[in-house]
Amino acid sequence: MSWPILSVTLFLPLAGAVAILAIPASRVRTIRLALMAVTALTLGLTCVVLVAYLAVPPAAASKLSGTANGQSLSSIHSPITFQFQEQVNWLQSGTSLSHLHLAFNEGNSAFNQAAPPPINFSYHLGVDGLSVWLMALAALLFLVAAVVLSQRETRLRTFAVLMLLSEVGVLGVLTSLDLILFYFFWEAALIPLYFLMIGWGDPNRGRAALKFIIYTVAGSLFMLLAIFGVYFITGAQTGVYTFDLPTLIAAQSFVHTTQATTFSLFGHSFAWLNPQEWLFLAFALAFAIKVPLVPFHSWLPDAYSSGTTPFLVFFAGIVSKLGAFGLIRYNLTLFPQASHTFQPLMLGLAIASILYGALAALAQTDLKRIVGFASISHLGFVVLGIFALNVDGLNGAIIQMVNHGIVIAALFICVGVVESRFASRTLSQLGGLARPMPVLAGLFLVVTLAGLGMPLLNSFVGEFLILLGAFQASPVWAVLASLGVIVACWYMLRMYQGLTQGELRLPGTGAVSEQLQAVSRRLGRLDVGPVEVVALVPLVALMLVIGVYPAPVIRYGRFSAAQYVQAANRQTATEPALASSRSAARSQP
Amino acid sequence: MIAVAAPGYPLHFVPAGDLLGILPILIVGGGAVVVLVWDLIRPRGQEVWLAGLTGLFLLAALGTAIGQWVANSGPIVVFNGAYANDRFALFADFVVLITALAVVVLSPGYLRRRGLAEGEYYILLLASVAGMLVLDGALNLIVVFLGIELLSIPLYVLAGFARDDQRSQEGAMKYLLLGGFASGFLLYGMALLYGETGHTSLTAIHAFLLRDATAGHVDPMVLAAVGLLAVGLAFKVSAAPFHWWTPDVYQGSPAVVTTFMSVATKVAAFAVFLRLFSATLAPYRAEWTVPIAVVAIISMIYGNVVAVAQTSLKRLLAYSGIAQAGYIMIGVALGRPDGTQASLYYLAAYAFMNTGAFAVVTILSRRGEDCDRYSELAGLGRREPLLAGLMSLFMLSLAGFPLTVGFFGKFFLFSAAIHDGQLALAIWGILTSAVSLFYYLRVILKMYAPAADVGPVEEFEVASVSPEGTAVAAPTAVGPAVLVVALAGAGTIVLGIFPALIYTLLQGISVVHG
Repeated sequence: MSWPILSVTLFLPLAGAVAILAIPASRVRTIRLALMAVTALTLGLTCVVLVAYLAVPPAAASKLSGTANGQSLSSIHSPITFQFQEQVNWLQSGTSLSHLHLAFNEGNSAFNQAAPPPINFSYHLGVDGLSVWLMALAALLFLVAAVVLSQRETRLRTFAVLMLLSEVGVLGVLTSLDLILFYFFWEAALIPLYFLMIGWGDPNRGRAALKFIIYTVAGSLFMLLAIFGVYFITGAQTGVYTFDLPTLIAAQSFVHTTQATTFSLFGHSFAWLNPQEWLFLAFALAFAIKVPLVPFHSWLPDAYSSGTTPFLVFFAGIVSKLGAFGLIRYNLTLFPQASHTFQPLMLGLAIASILYGALAALAQTDLKRIVGFASISHLGFVVLGIFALNVDGLNGAIIQMVNHGIVIAALFICVGVVESRFASRTLSQLGGLARPMPVLAGLFLVVTLAGLGMPLLNSFVGEFLILLGAFQASPVWAVLASLGVIVACWYMLRMYQGLTQGELRLPGTGAVSEQLQAVSRRLGRLDVGPVEVVALVPLVALMLVIGVYPAPVIRYGRFSAAQYVQAANRQTATEPALASSRSAARSQP
Repeated sequence: MIAVAAPGYPLHFVPAGDLLGILPILIVGGGAVVVLVWDLIRPRGQEVWLAGLTGLFLLAALGTAIGQWVANSGPIVVFNGAYANDRFALFADFVVLITALAVVVLSPGYLRRRGLAEGEYYILLLASVAGMLVLDGALNLIVVFLGIELLSIPLYVLAGFARDDQRSQEGAMKYLLLGGFASGFLLYGMALLYGETGHTSLTAIHAFLLRDATAGHVDPMVLAAVGLLAVGLAFKVSAAPFHWWTPDVYQGSPAVVTTFMSVATKVAAFAVFLRLFSATLAPYRAEWTVPIAVVAIISMIYGNVVAVAQTSLKRLLAYSGIAQAGYIMIGVALGRPDGTQASLYYLAAYAFMNTGAFAVVTILSRRGEDCDRYSELAGLGRREPLLAGLMSLFMLSLAGFPLTVGFFGKFFLFSAAIHDGQLALAIWGILTSAVSLFYYLRVILKMYAPAADVGPVEEFEVASVSPEGTAVAAPTAVGPAVLVVALAGAGTIVLGIFPALIYTLLQGISVVHG
């Protein structure tokens, strides 16, 4: 590809945001159309990337078969193949800082200070079989959010601009191949999200936004330190100081790191985690907060319950996937041994998320909080698949990330419809809505069934593969995770039945029929309107398509999953060398 | 011996080369005299020309400094080794002069709104800038002290410039007393250093200490001197626990003075801090690096934690300044070239974001008093979308978000700390950064919060004030002032995306090791 399609995709929403700023704020219709046009165009571009990526497989597939046949992979430099790469230097410091250096030392060897290593990072983009799917999902969800964004929304123009800026951030996280560039987008995406959170939604949104930002940034800052750690340790070991992800993966600097850090207490020396493990934990913390995994999840219910529907469509749909994406892209590739060391920990957290999320969802009465906790539970499955550390699990995780984005967005749209009609989202106040709102009930049913993992719908495919992978890792994990699936039926159906079946219940005080009439008069309709149908139908269609014929998604996802598993299993390739080096270290006094 | 000593030369002319080396200082100092005279002879009601004249001199000095940077890449030592016009000094000069220029543009409108006298203000400002320029390149203990006093004395007056405002008076008095105290510490340290080494020239002291340390000998007298110097300088950069004057003085002083004080003073004081510690006292690095690191950590923790509890905007920015001093101190504590570089980068970043933040406060200040209460920000997002947006930008930058220059400031500092194995500094840095989000983002929240979030009492307050507020909403000189804020914002973003613009400048920087 001769023209920089990734950069164009990445900055198209930015250009769109600037263009929208030029439209007078009062022309809401134009703004909304422009927003839809920009997001649709972005979706088109990501689809071009997706198709172009999937059109490549011959060469890539041969590599895959190479793995399958057990051939040596040492000929391949980096186990992950990235395509459409673009690289421009961003900050290039010279290799020598001679002036400063000499001025400080003045030729005195006793106080010679080592010249600091140069700091280089670049604007490096690229996609692999993991990020193309997520890019397409992100672009789709932003389009859906643009569709459900009501023209009557206050400060529509600002909302549209912030939404497009968050899209830039999200796409940047997915495409960047440089640790600094990644971190840059990772954090910068929070800025528009923060403004979206404080500007629109429930009255307690300020608190929720602050909580979310502080949680996320605290985790990310540890990741920043770990990025420096990766940089300097790799540099010290290989002589190559770089933040470039493919180079770092190829350098394999952490594959051989076994030396534990030690600390002494009361004269005894204790072996502690080795550097690779520390760095793994720092990265994992940032991602676990974003996912979120259970002990780090408490920002989520507040954030989800205070947001508006369009915001939640992409916030819940794609932003939370970035954490899982980071775990795959960075933790598995950069810290292969630590990934194995901490496999039980991560699997344990995943199981805790699945079960805790499911049980907590059972206990909620607020519809958005139910969906929020369900989301925690579902994302626990994704992490379970990732840290099964085998092809099936990872394949399932990749598919499930896409699936979950589709399902959660659709759920929030359905809940949003109910909330917009009756100004309530308390389960106990609502009931029997299937009669006055049959179309909503029908669509909601499909979404609910997809959410609980019904066969022939999309989540089943992902959860099946994840459980398959978890079973290979250890049957215990699979059994525990299955409990989550059972509870999922319970809380999803509890929500669906409570909302649509039984006697008609509405939150207001007057007679039910009068209330319904009042709503119809106010909104001009009661059931889902054309806008909501347009937003929901593609999502529901995707659920059905992926559920009925998952083969293409599985096949293409499998290739990338195999690559990542291979990257995470690099230690097995060098195990003998490692063992010998260990024994050599032991034999030395 | 440094003795420039004239005995043999009864008619000693200063060589032209020496004068050329301190040309920016001469221009600024001369400017102070010219403005003083012009203030006496000017026709009535032409105050704005004072600002113009002041700005012109500052611009000339800036141009000269840039010319010197371009002309010489190597260090130039003038006045017999008493002053270095190296790139380190020139870089600090740039930051000081640009900040001063911003303050001068902000001043006329602000002074008129608050009804403060104008003439003396610019003279004092120029004198203080001259002191800062002296400090940037000082290569002799005497010159250091000269610079510090030349910087401080006009500031004592400026802090109390709002004569009718009790807070301003109180702040100025505190600043004077504690500042004098700090100068005493500094002088005592210098005296001890002189007594032990027999030199006041930093170059000679460095050589002496190097011999000392190479012989494996640690001199307790020098240690005492280093400690006293550190205390004096930590006071000037307002690092905790030597910060007690900062909140009161920042809150009491007129907002433009606070702007100037919080940025330019910090830059100049850090310049001399860096030169003294990372260069001159480098042989004793093993002795002072841990105490300085402790001061840095205390500053970061204290500043950030106490800022959370503030209800006054200026106090909040004061505590934020203490915290920022802690971050910059990381570079000092490392005592290595990459630390120095990172500190200088952060100072430049700080100049943009903090000048911007205070400039917004300046613009929002009404007659009689400064915009100080937190609640006055409520609804700013609707009333002044541009100012609110830029203020948000500065807050995000101070918090260290990417896309802003503050991110790369912290980036280089933490990277240097990790590279030098000072993990504790980096970890405390990030922990406190996370705390700082709380109050920086709360400022943003306040500006954009819907009216429902504002308490009933405050709502009443806003309502009662707004008629007057709208009357003063479009003061005459807000135009250029907004321009300053916008430029600071542009700098914050551009440098936040292209850090190389400053980083490459710092690459070839040279420090006369003193």
